Amino acid sequence: MAAWRLQRLTGLLLLVYLFLHVRTVHQLSQGPAAFNEAMAFFRHPVFKLLEIGLLGVVILHALNGVRITLIDLGIGHRRQARLFWILSVGAGGLLFLAGAIPMFLFSVLKL
Amino acid sequence: MNPYLFRILRSPSRTDIFQVSLEERMTVLDALFSIRQERDPTLAFRCSCRVGMCGTCAMSVNGTARLACRTRVVTLKSKTVTVAPLPNLPVIRDLVVSLDPFFEQWKRVLPALHPREPAAKDLARIPADSPYARQTPRKRDCITCGACFSACGVRGTNRGYLGPAAINKAFLRLLDPRDGAATQRLDVLNDEYSGLWRCHTQFNCTEVCPKGIDLTDTITRLKRAMLAPGRWLAR
Repeated sequence: MAAWRLQRLTGLLLLVYLFLHVRTVHQLSQGPAAFNEAMAFFRHPVFKLLEIGLLGVVILHALNGVRITLIDLGIGHRRQARLFWILSVGAGGLLFLAGAIPMFLFSVLKL
Repeated sequence: MNPYLFRILRSPSRTDIFQVSLEERMTVLDALFSIRQERDPTLAFRCSCRVGMCGTCAMSVNGTARLACRTRVVTLKSKTVTVAPLPNLPVIRDLVVSLDPFFEQWKRVLPALHPREPAAKDLARIPADSPYARQTPRKRDCITCGACFSACGVRGTNRGYLGPAAINKAFLRLLDPRDGAATQRLDVLNDEYSGLWRCHTQFNCTEVCPKGIDLTDTITRLKRAMLAPGRWLAR
């Protein structure tokens, strides 16, 4: 049930991101100046941190999606809870760290 | 004797608390009998076989649907035990719920055998290596206690949903080589709003089933099989 709840929550968060993403890209139709202005808004450090959060949300949602697909195909059914912790949380956590640490060092701290 | 605090949720606005002393091997059902005999004779709960065969005493124990007769209090690892009626079912009184919604869905899948040859006199031979014999040993253990039905998150928001137990019953009948009502059952299972496609693979039903039936496995197997329904109809 925890996996199901997290999948819904991350899905909603991705929906919010998708809306912001489409809205920003849409500024291209207003010309380069409007687009650059929109992008400048997202250069704020808070958005850099949110970007790292987005990475975590995408990884968790994607890997849990793989887990659900495997279960639907009849694979790993009896170990579904372990699959969630090992694949979605464990492997996902490692992937997240591999991406989040460089993002934090070079995008937030600007080393 | 170990002391426990039993919180009994008798209605949304009434929670009674009882201190009960229990031996190590005593169950939640034993505690309820103790409360009724020594503290409050008006406490209503239902039970019958007391050995986990009838499914009558299903109730929520510390937030999980369980059979009261098969739940030893010591295994809960908590000195406070909260007992409530099964969720998502109408409460008749105290811990007694009506299983009418459960059996309404149960009836929809035509749970009884509808023989292909009603006049057949010979006993059906079911080889040990047939799909029915291979896939069903554990799944035939359902005691219709309603635990899976009440724990199902989909059922909580969709009152028309068949529920795991009814789908499991339909699965058994579809595999049964003697059965001849596959078309009707597939129609019910394939219903867009209330059929098995509503299952969100939450595993709540599998986790609470007191007989250890892997109900989510049944549903995902059926989902895959439904992609080629001719397999059932061609028999």
